[in-house]
Amino acid sequence: MISAELRFEGFDARSWTNLVSLFLPGLPERLDRAPDASDAPVAEGEVRARGSLLVVVDEDDVILAASHSQRGRVRELAGTSVDRAALPLLAARAGAHRVLLLREGVMEELAEQLGARFRSDDSYLAQLLEVIRAARELEASGELTLWPNPIANVPIPTAATFERALDLVLPDGRAAVLALWDGPLWTAVVLRRRHGEIDLVAGPEMLVRWTGPLGGDWRRDYRVILDAVARSVAPVHFGIFAEAPTVRSLLRAADAGTWAQSVAVRNVVISPMPRTVGAALGADAVRGIGKASARALGGLDFAGALLPFVREVRARVTHASSVSEILGFDPLKVLGAILRRDEPPRDE
Amino acid sequence: MSRPVARPRSRPILDGATLRLGEREVPLRSGALHYWRLPKDHWRDALRQVKALGLPMVETYVPWGVHELELRDGKPVFDFGERDPRRDLAGFLDLAAEEELLVFVRPGPHINAELTGFGLPQRVLDDPEVQARSPRGNPVVLYFPPKMFAVPSHASEAYREHAGEWLDAVGAIVGPRRWPKGPVVMTQVDNELGFFFRSGPYCQDYHDDALALWHSFLTERHGDLEGVCRAHRATYATWSDASPPTRFAGDLEGDDRLGELARQLDWAAFAEHLHTVFARHLRHRFDRADLGELPAVHNVSIGEGGAPVSVASLGEAVDLVGLDYYHPTREQRVIKRRTLYLSGTTGAAYAPELGVGAPPWFTPLAHEDSLVTAMTACAYGLRGFNLYMAVDRDRWYGAPIDALGRARPEATAWRRFLAALENVEFHRAKRDVRIALEWPREYQRLTRATHLLGTVSPAVLEAMGGTPVELCRADAFGFERPIQHVWWDDLARVASALTAAQVPYVYVDSDAPEARFEGYDVIFAPSYEYASPRRFERLARLAAKGAHVVYGPRLPERDEALLPRAFTAPGGHAPTRLDDTMAHALVADWVGRFELERPFATLPPVETTVHEIDGEERVLFVINSASAREAEIALARPTVAVDALTGESIAGDTSLRVAIDGESCRMFLLQSERRKAPRARRRT
Repeated sequence: MISAELRFEGFDARSWTNLVSLFLPGLPERLDRAPDASDAPVAEGEVRARGSLLVVVDEDDVILAASHSQRGRVRELAGTSVDRAALPLLAARAGAHRVLLLREGVMEELAEQLGARFRSDDSYLAQLLEVIRAARELEASGELTLWPNPIANVPIPTAATFERALDLVLPDGRAAVLALWDGPLWTAVVLRRRHGEIDLVAGPEMLVRWTGPLGGDWRRDYRVILDAVARSVAPVHFGIFAEAPTVRSLLRAADAGTWAQSVAVRNVVISPMPRTVGAALGADAVRGIGKASARALGGLDFAGALLPFVREVRARVTHASSVSEILGFDPLKVLGAILRRDEPPRDE
Repeated sequence: MSRPVARPRSRPILDGATLRLGEREVPLRSGALHYWRLPKDHWRDALRQVKALGLPMVETYVPWGVHELELRDGKPVFDFGERDPRRDLAGFLDLAAEEELLVFVRPGPHINAELTGFGLPQRVLDDPEVQARSPRGNPVVLYFPPKMFAVPSHASEAYREHAGEWLDAVGAIVGPRRWPKGPVVMTQVDNELGFFFRSGPYCQDYHDDALALWHSFLTERHGDLEGVCRAHRATYATWSDASPPTRFAGDLEGDDRLGELARQLDWAAFAEHLHTVFARHLRHRFDRADLGELPAVHNVSIGEGGAPVSVASLGEAVDLVGLDYYHPTREQRVIKRRTLYLSGTTGAAYAPELGVGAPPWFTPLAHEDSLVTAMTACAYGLRGFNLYMAVDRDRWYGAPIDALGRARPEATAWRRFLAALENVEFHRAKRDVRIALEWPREYQRLTRATHLLGTVSPAVLEAMGGTPVELCRADAFGFERPIQHVWWDDLARVASALTAAQVPYVYVDSDAPEARFEGYDVIFAPSYEYASPRRFERLARLAAKGAHVVYGPRLPERDEALLPRAFTAPGGHAPTRLDDTMAHALVADWVGRFELERPFATLPPVETTVHEIDGEERVLFVINSASAREAEIALARPTVAVDALTGESIAGDTSLRVAIDGESCRMFLLQSERRKAPRARRRT
């Protein structure tokens, strides 16, 4: 998926941190958080609100060491036994919202397995999936446990499967664009796929180099961007244009129908809209209608009542969940779950 | 007979953070530009902008994997601009000379630079003879994007031979352009030594050449095989029996446990040795490649507190060892610790990579992160640096100059900061420091040996914002307390008490030469049940010269092989316990006993540091690692302080009131004359 010749260019510090803050759990929190008051080079035991607990246990599940991602060592846990069924309690005791439990030596075992399976001519995607697969095997054998595990039921696709799913979103020889505004252009990224792999990740500086000065009205500027990217990079297969807070909320939205609604009222412009994305939005809208109507009608599933109509819609959108079907999971749903779990609510 | 004519120096001399070029003195400040990543017709604009930032020197890596095209008849074929103008290294160096910039060249062989394979040719990485080995003989894979690769072994003879060919090729171009004939004034030997971040205790290196080196290391350390048997409490019939550990046997008791610990400590020390040997080898190879007359530096990556390298030992191979800095503002205390360590351990605190921006797969850093990091590091004594990157490029964001060679808005702040450093000749500045905290390497090794997270090594943990002691075993191994944790806690406790009392201090690595410990009034040396005898002998000599040596909380009774040994107390006294109260009492004692001055005192959490030039207090930094506030800073005499970035002038007779943002740093130029009576004391 990622070319060994990958080019990444055209970001300044602000546009890059803006972009990453959309997807990286915890980053907005870090950027906005008031600093702690402290004066020591290392102040052990500083209490911060959130974080993960990492625990290493021996053969008998006795804790050899424990560390909180924000507080450091958790001494009181050393020497105690872990009840794997009670990891939530352990997390609460340590003031963490996630626990990663590892058997002593499991990281070395993982490294050995990866070393043995390593092929230097594999793509990065194939290499990465091998890491995930090896970790999953160790998890299955009880050597490694993550609680809660938001991707526990997410199947690991093969590299080929992943490529097929990617074909639907960004076919070879095409580009995808995300441009977000918060007044002026807040961040942007252009991706290009060539020879089956993403070989270009370009930021706002490159974009503006291709477009020239933008007018300032994002609902008009997006057309200029599409033309410029098509001229300078590759024909655009998929573009998302919106104000930054809108997309941040949508990425974290749990409710069905929110994406579809935003597109319908042009809070988000998707242009061009690939068939798969249009169909997925249609399905999202149907799910949203069902949920909203059930709420409005005091629990009666309105969509259920209109089942024949819904079936008709679904029949027409056979590609609605193509990406999900190929992968075996809905990537946007998984991302939303992770982002919601890892970030406190924001006022937007 | 005619008298000899005094010849001007014919090669650059590195003197602290100053480069001496004949009669000319140049501060050790540069900015990075990667010529091969920019179209050739942008080079001149970019170089001019580097100069306009206020930098006398441009730095560039020279990437082996980019210049090497193919193997022909078993020999590598290089392109230095014959095929692709962007690879015209000679043209770039000549252009820098035309633009009156000096050049700092870093030819690797390993450079990282966010290049695929860290800049090494794929055919070298794929050579099984080159690859480092895991305990089971597997290649050691680095998981970095955009492509994982098997890391080379620093002990591999094959790797050294390949690297030698590359250095010869670079030397043929750079050698003739050495100052004074050309602009090149400095080089760097390799990059961020430390097992390519695969530095867990048993990640590597079990390569055959490394095992041969392991055995010669054991001989050097214990005399002969019999000595090794004694240290490891083992019966080795032959050297091949004396194999390195591949796991930690944590369930042993008595002598077996001591033997296991000794073997683990040997393995941890060997990792440092291996890197130092490799650095020495490369330095020798640089000499053969016509690069030898240039001062050479080396950079250690973030996470050095848990890394398998010894900054002080690497200093035996090169002229100066520095640390790389990539920190968000919230890590001001880490920046402080690292800079105080450099100040105390090396001749001059230097950052071969002071991050301005970052690669996309690193913790996201804003402009403020880079600038505050730079200012905070200077506040605690960083004297020279290389802004990495000064000019933007592929796989990077946030440099002050864009890839077309145009200044970004952020360049203004950098220009002001650099002008202020230049105007006061900050590279010559000194801090009046009278207390040294010894960084005990034998305990740091125990920390590495007892680390439980394998590939996520202590160095990686530290680089991720943690501490290197965080995931060590909690066992005490029969000692009173787990030394692998306690040494870190005790140093932090004393440092914290010194900070609270606003007394300047530094850390000096126990591997550093004795001269680095001289001149301090107080040396605090943590010590527990075992210690390096050499360290204690040196402490005794320093005490005899007048230093107040405080060791403890225990007088050791075993050496580094954990064999019984009588230690003599090196003067001073040993606190039997070292809790917070005792740490504060110790510091109070030192303040009273040595009449330690606390100029520009203020209230925590704000800190101040003052820097003298030619005996005058010229620069004041105000550092705030907490939320925004106004600090009141005590004055000994009426003073005018001018903010180096904003030009704001603040005056006071008995105090200065300074508003300071959260997690930030302000640099003030002091305008009143504050000459101090010279004293024979340590200045860092």
